[in-house]
Amino acid sequence: MGDQNTSLDESSARHLLRRTGFGAPAANVAAFTGLTRGAAADQLLNFTPAKFKPRGVARYDDSRAEFRAHNSWVKYMITTKLQLQEKLVLFWHDHFANNNDKVGDHSRMSDQNKLFRQFCKGNFKDFVKAVNKDGAMMEFLDTVRNFKDEPNENYARELQELFTLGVKDLSGSPNYAQEDIVQIARAFSGWAWDNKPKAHFNDYDHDYATDFPGRGAKVIYQTHGQFGAAGRDFTQPAGEGAAEIDQVIDIIFQHRDSDAKNTVARYIAAKLLEYFAHPLPAYPAKASIVDGVVSRSGFGASFDIGALVREILVDDFFYETGVGVPFGPTTPKSVKWPIDYVVSTLRLLKMRPKGGDAYINGGSYHALQDQLKAMGQQLFEPPSVFGWNWELSWMSSATLLARCGFARDLISARGSGRFNFHPEKLIDLGLTQPTDIVQAVTDLLGVTDQLTATEITKLVEYLGAGPIDLHDYDTRNRKLNGLFGLVLQSPAYQLH
Amino acid sequence: MSITRRQFIKRTGVAAAGALVVPNVWRHPFVRRAFAETIGDRFFISLFLDGGNDGLNTVVPVSDGSMGTLRTFYEGLRTTGAGGLQLSPTVLNPYSIGNDNNPNLPMATPRTHTPLAVHPGLAGLKTLYDLGKVAVIQGCGYPDYSLSHDTSRKTWQTATLAASGPGWVGRYLESAGYTGNDIPALDIDSEIAADFQQGTTSVIAVDDLENFIFPYDGDYSDDDAAKRTAFAALYAQAASSVQAARHSIGSAGAATLGATDNYPGLNDLYNNDRPSWVAQYNTLDRSTGYGLREIAKVIYGIQNGVSGINARHFQLNNGGYDTHSNQGAETGAHFDLHQELGNAIELFYNDIANMAAGLENKVLIIVWSEFSRRPEQNDSGTDHGSQGPMFVIGGGVNGGVYGSHPNIDPAVAGDDGNTAYSQDPTNPYRSTDIRDVYGTILKHWLNMGEPTIFNPMAPVLTLDSGDPNLYWTAHNFDLGFV
Repeated sequence: MGDQNTSLDESSARHLLRRTGFGAPAANVAAFTGLTRGAAADQLLNFTPAKFKPRGVARYDDSRAEFRAHNSWVKYMITTKLQLQEKLVLFWHDHFANNNDKVGDHSRMSDQNKLFRQFCKGNFKDFVKAVNKDGAMMEFLDTVRNFKDEPNENYARELQELFTLGVKDLSGSPNYAQEDIVQIARAFSGWAWDNKPKAHFNDYDHDYATDFPGRGAKVIYQTHGQFGAAGRDFTQPAGEGAAEIDQVIDIIFQHRDSDAKNTVARYIAAKLLEYFAHPLPAYPAKASIVDGVVSRSGFGASFDIGALVREILVDDFFYETGVGVPFGPTTPKSVKWPIDYVVSTLRLLKMRPKGGDAYINGGSYHALQDQLKAMGQQLFEPPSVFGWNWELSWMSSATLLARCGFARDLISARGSGRFNFHPEKLIDLGLTQPTDIVQAVTDLLGVTDQLTATEITKLVEYLGAGPIDLHDYDTRNRKLNGLFGLVLQSPAYQLH
Repeated sequence: MSITRRQFIKRTGVAAAGALVVPNVWRHPFVRRAFAETIGDRFFISLFLDGGNDGLNTVVPVSDGSMGTLRTFYEGLRTTGAGGLQLSPTVLNPYSIGNDNNPNLPMATPRTHTPLAVHPGLAGLKTLYDLGKVAVIQGCGYPDYSLSHDTSRKTWQTATLAASGPGWVGRYLESAGYTGNDIPALDIDSEIAADFQQGTTSVIAVDDLENFIFPYDGDYSDDDAAKRTAFAALYAQAASSVQAARHSIGSAGAATLGATDNYPGLNDLYNNDRPSWVAQYNTLDRSTGYGLREIAKVIYGIQNGVSGINARHFQLNNGGYDTHSNQGAETGAHFDLHQELGNAIELFYNDIANMAAGLENKVLIIVWSEFSRRPEQNDSGTDHGSQGPMFVIGGGVNGGVYGSHPNIDPAVAGDDGNTAYSQDPTNPYRSTDIRDVYGTILKHWLNMGEPTIFNPMAPVLTLDSGDPNLYWTAHNFDLGFV
């Protein structure tokens, strides 16, 4: 059992960097080895969010519009030193999952991406209030089509179900009723997106209580959330109209589970724990882990995301995921997201995608966007408001072959320039013994302690009997590149 | 919370995890053969309309008929003019499918005799309906319905009110005795849908067969065999791991590698033999037609004796049905979705029928969505609703309308404005429980007896407890549509 004062050994340092960034280059691992968990987390979180915004453009007739947003973000992930920032932005992109398929405007998607960066470790309550008025979100969940005569419940439902509360609390009790959705939808009526562009409140489209007495009082949570039979009036304290949507958020953030714990805090903490570490166990074991990081971080009162993430990154639950062989039935592991697989591999191999289409290996049909789509994760296009399905849902026959194909494209990218593969810059070509070559490659890719002895033997057998002359062009390209490909395709490398 | 579905292990492979799920006796080869409650030489396709298809604009009252006033209610709930969703009798008449007074339906439910039509976008489906090859099953739902996409989809997929655990098709695959690398099922997608998830056999996901090949380094093909040997060894190692994620990925990779030997050839065979059908699929828009085309390739290959292909169960889906806004009426988004669906199914049916005499009688397609939509429309679309229609298509289907249209009388709508689930046998608007639809398919298409469906050791379906008018406490697996 450890805590924030526990020192990081090399394996733990590699795990921390792998989960808070894309890949863990050896030099970074060395720099973090020996730090305490707390000092390491503080160092990773000590950044001011960058103002970076993907280069999405609004023009509908620009066939490159989707490439611009996608590729500029991927390239930023590869190059930025603020690796944890981008891991958090990805989390929020999945959490507030909007896709351009419906939004239809990459400039709004890019603005939203910038908002995610601005709030990535900020105050979650302020974050949700900002998302209420985000142009992509207002389009995606139909806030712009929510009028007093024709209420639209889409945002009111997902705000509760997916963004803040969840359908049920940790012990399985429902968090809200349909009536709460109906009332919250009234609060959001009349909000529009004008051409400035920013959110704008149209008084004449807003549902005032006097307009529709039959719709009841603007009160929510009379039956859920531990507010008592009176529920809470979201026209208070600042009255009806434009203030209602902030007041709804203020109430949601006071919603309590049946055992009196703050619902939003638990919901977000659980999701971040699973994002950075691995799936939580079933209730009630789940509650004790979640409540631990919430209470130590003060997130239930402060809603400070950075403080919550720090407590997750010093928790034993987080470090359990990173252990090496041997693996038992209860050893937790997590499947790398496709974007993590792609970006971390490019970073470890010191490769960069080429050109505006961001491709590798000689043709735009190898564009990273297509490769990621085949792996199941096209940025700016999560399949629905639920975001992507995590963990083993990432791994099917189709997506596995897409990962294998990406690895093949990397190791067969022959030519000059940094968008091609240059193993001579990564390992010592003077190595001649198969065991030494295998270790050099698995060390570089950070999976040496994740491979069983038998798996290492299979890789050694692949190389054949030594000595091997890696200076020979064909031998190197056939076997060393092949070895890199096999490790990138291996089950161990899909996990972290 | 929504994360739980993500944690679910979609498929694991051969021995270890499966042994935890199903008693070992089921795995004994003689027991497997003795049961032989499998699909045999038939095919089953589950087509999911993702997002909540507006059933009330999919199967529509054309007039009030002799009992009830469903058309009058419809016209009150679905408006005309800008943003209006109402389909007029003039638009609907060419797509009439008779009324809901199907004499074949065994349930002694009173009927409203309401004349019905399908959405004009479904012209392709209507053609097959007129041939008697389409069953329209009205009011399909489940008790205590959820308006959450995720919860409701999982309820349909798992056929459990808890909305958790293996899928209903997955449980059938287990009980039917499929194991290891049998690969009895194929998902035309990049992931395995929850209805096909289970713990004992291999289900693979294929986006398209043409590219379902193992990627080798083309510059050094003399090393392909060595790479394949090493890859297979690494994945076999992982498959034998007791660690759950490694085990699952390992067996997925092993099954995938094997399948890449067999499946791409199906693509070449079909494209070579059936160029005019390829051309017709190519004229279709969007994904449903392409997905069905890939299934057609597999069926054609099996029909022509290609060995090593065991896939008999297929899943595919098409999104875009979450029409909160800009839904449209006889034109627009919902029309486009329906047109894609109807035309794709019609072409696929004709393709199959053309492959061999009677082959269409061995293929069954079910079309479903996680819920229908609110009877009362909003500005230009519809919010989440409750029960809705299913379609069952195939040469072996007894065509017609089954079950009752939901009662869209606003006076009896629930607090959420939706139609209520009911199993009251005297209710002329009684719901069709999805478990009865599944059970009918299991019994009459997948050849599984009721004792196996309800086997207490490994039930495929489980009755609810509670008020028999509000829950599914008695089953009827002889709905008659197949």
